[in-house]
Amino acid sequence: MQDKQFMKEMLTDSAHAYKAGRMDRRMFLALCGASGVAMSSVMAGDAQAAADHVVMWNWGGQSEECHGSAIGDAFTAETGKGLKFDTSGPLEGKIKEMVDSGNVTADVADADLFNAVSLGPTGHLEPIDYSVVSKDKTLPGYALEHGVSVILYGYAFVYDTEVYGDNPPQNWADFFDTEKFPGMRSLYKWANGSLEAALLADGVSGDALYPLDMDRALAKLKSIKDDSLYWGSGSEAHSMVVNGEVSMGMVWQNRGRNIENDTDGRYKLVNMQAIAMPGAYIVPKGNPAGAAVMEFIATAQEVPAQLALLDCLGMTPSNPEAFGQIPEDQQDYAITSAKNIDKIVYNDPDWWGKNGGDAVNAFLEAIS
Amino acid sequence: MNALTKHMHPGWLIIAPLLALVTLLYLGPILNILWLSVTDPEPGLGNYAKLGESDALLRIVWTTVRICIITTLFSVTLGYSIAYAMVHCHQRQKSYMLTLLLVSFWISILVRTFSWLMLLGRKGLVNVTLEDIGLIAEPIAFMRNELGVLIGMIHYMIPYAVLPLLVSMQSLDTRVMDASRNLGASGSQTFWRIYLPLTTPGLVASTLLVFILSLGFYVTPAVLGGGKVLMVAEYISVQLLVTLKWGTAAMLAALMLFGVLAMLWVMSRFMKLSTVFGGAAR
Repeated sequence: MQDKQFMKEMLTDSAHAYKAGRMDRRMFLALCGASGVAMSSVMAGDAQAAADHVVMWNWGGQSEECHGSAIGDAFTAETGKGLKFDTSGPLEGKIKEMVDSGNVTADVADADLFNAVSLGPTGHLEPIDYSVVSKDKTLPGYALEHGVSVILYGYAFVYDTEVYGDNPPQNWADFFDTEKFPGMRSLYKWANGSLEAALLADGVSGDALYPLDMDRALAKLKSIKDDSLYWGSGSEAHSMVVNGEVSMGMVWQNRGRNIENDTDGRYKLVNMQAIAMPGAYIVPKGNPAGAAVMEFIATAQEVPAQLALLDCLGMTPSNPEAFGQIPEDQQDYAITSAKNIDKIVYNDPDWWGKNGGDAVNAFLEAIS
Repeated sequence: MNALTKHMHPGWLIIAPLLALVTLLYLGPILNILWLSVTDPEPGLGNYAKLGESDALLRIVWTTVRICIITTLFSVTLGYSIAYAMVHCHQRQKSYMLTLLLVSFWISILVRTFSWLMLLGRKGLVNVTLEDIGLIAEPIAFMRNELGVLIGMIHYMIPYAVLPLLVSMQSLDTRVMDASRNLGASGSQTFWRIYLPLTTPGLVASTLLVFILSLGFYVTPAVLGGGKVLMVAEYISVQLLVTLKWGTAAMLAALMLFGVLAMLWVMSRFMKLSTVFGGAAR
């Protein structure tokens, strides 16, 4: 244990030295390698949460800046505590590994609500303290024991107006109809959203989706297999569309506005039957900042933070109080805006938390 | 102490701590993986039994092996001709070629992968040019399929194939070839019966290197395969990070490890592997 502590301190020091330019990258990496520690966790160790700040574990890129300005600033003003980031992406396996290793360096993970269902019962997450966090400031059913939905993102699609200009596709049924709408499609590689879209296209109604009929969904997906590509990240989805590789592409709805801008309006977002995904804040068991993180989550639920996240990241508010305040120019792109809220379908985190692993494997086997 | 030094060079004592440390650091994690593959989610050989039960796993393994074999075949063949050309051209040209080879060797795999997309993608340089001059009506699907993965992998692997071959060819005694010609053999006879057999150790080394490295490919298939070419490395990563089936991941990792070891063992039946790795043929 003492060795571990020593190693961590040494690496934290060297991370500082590396950042300050007193140590070159090669040396730093060699030290990381020698102690068997991955870069990301050292960087997290550098940002190791103490009592004076909270470490948010997110996906990097724009989100670092946006989480800082939308939530971090208000949180600091309220509590005097700072916000730091680990941008290595809190995939379920990484959270499990972090907690199992006993070296928890993050306080709150920007994850999916279904992660709370799968990792909560196995003891990898702290329960949400609902005396600080509000159950009313999220959609009903999205405040769970080990996680609370703070934003919504969604699976919607964009289409090429130059190909389908006169007769644009309206919904997932059109998306899966390659006879009426010839051209390449792109879908999400890790099953989520793709399975729901296939069932909606096959005529299942939005409120009868769960439990997902896997065989039916996979059969529908296989029917367009030759005309489809699969993306694994938001940027890949974006580039498949912008580079003209597909005529219709499933995207995370928060990318819709950027895609329309990047293609000068050639590609257009369709929110009909968009699948709303509860993005959730979950807390790894034994997080360094302790209970202070609950105040951070509560801050993120407030209307100003919700609207700021929408403006900066395109993430849709999950606090019903904010729905009515979505500005006019965001209406088309926010799935809980008055324009879209009646068209959307809700993801069931419970089903995904319990069946997600098998569903992803069955999906991968079907498309490969 | 005396008895010990009689049988062992004292130098071993100096490197023993390092050796022990390295062995520990390598063996520890590997044993951990093996342990995981028979204990997660429950003790037993359940993870290995899955190989027999599920066509999907076998298909992924087969896709991986097939792609690796084709990659190795092309990289080594192309690598052999490149190395041959390098050894037999002028010193000046040789350094140009070596520089180009090393430059592409040093460029990050991500950059090289995405360059292929720009070049051969649906709206890439090649397809657009061919369409503009009217040779094709529809873009050719070079990328986002198995062909794309192969192009990307072969391109990435060529430097790895060339370098061992180059070393092996440079160390040949060229007088042997002269003698062969002198004794009346034709050029091709000399190549097939003298040159090729003499470069076999280099050939085997580069084949092994390329094949083993190909087995672990992750980025290229994930990007250029368009999600439809699933290889073992990517599958393992999904099992670790997304589906949390660490037992399956460990089993596949163990399978790859033993596959490689078995391959080395089979090779060692036919030849002295030490010559491949630079030792003297005895």
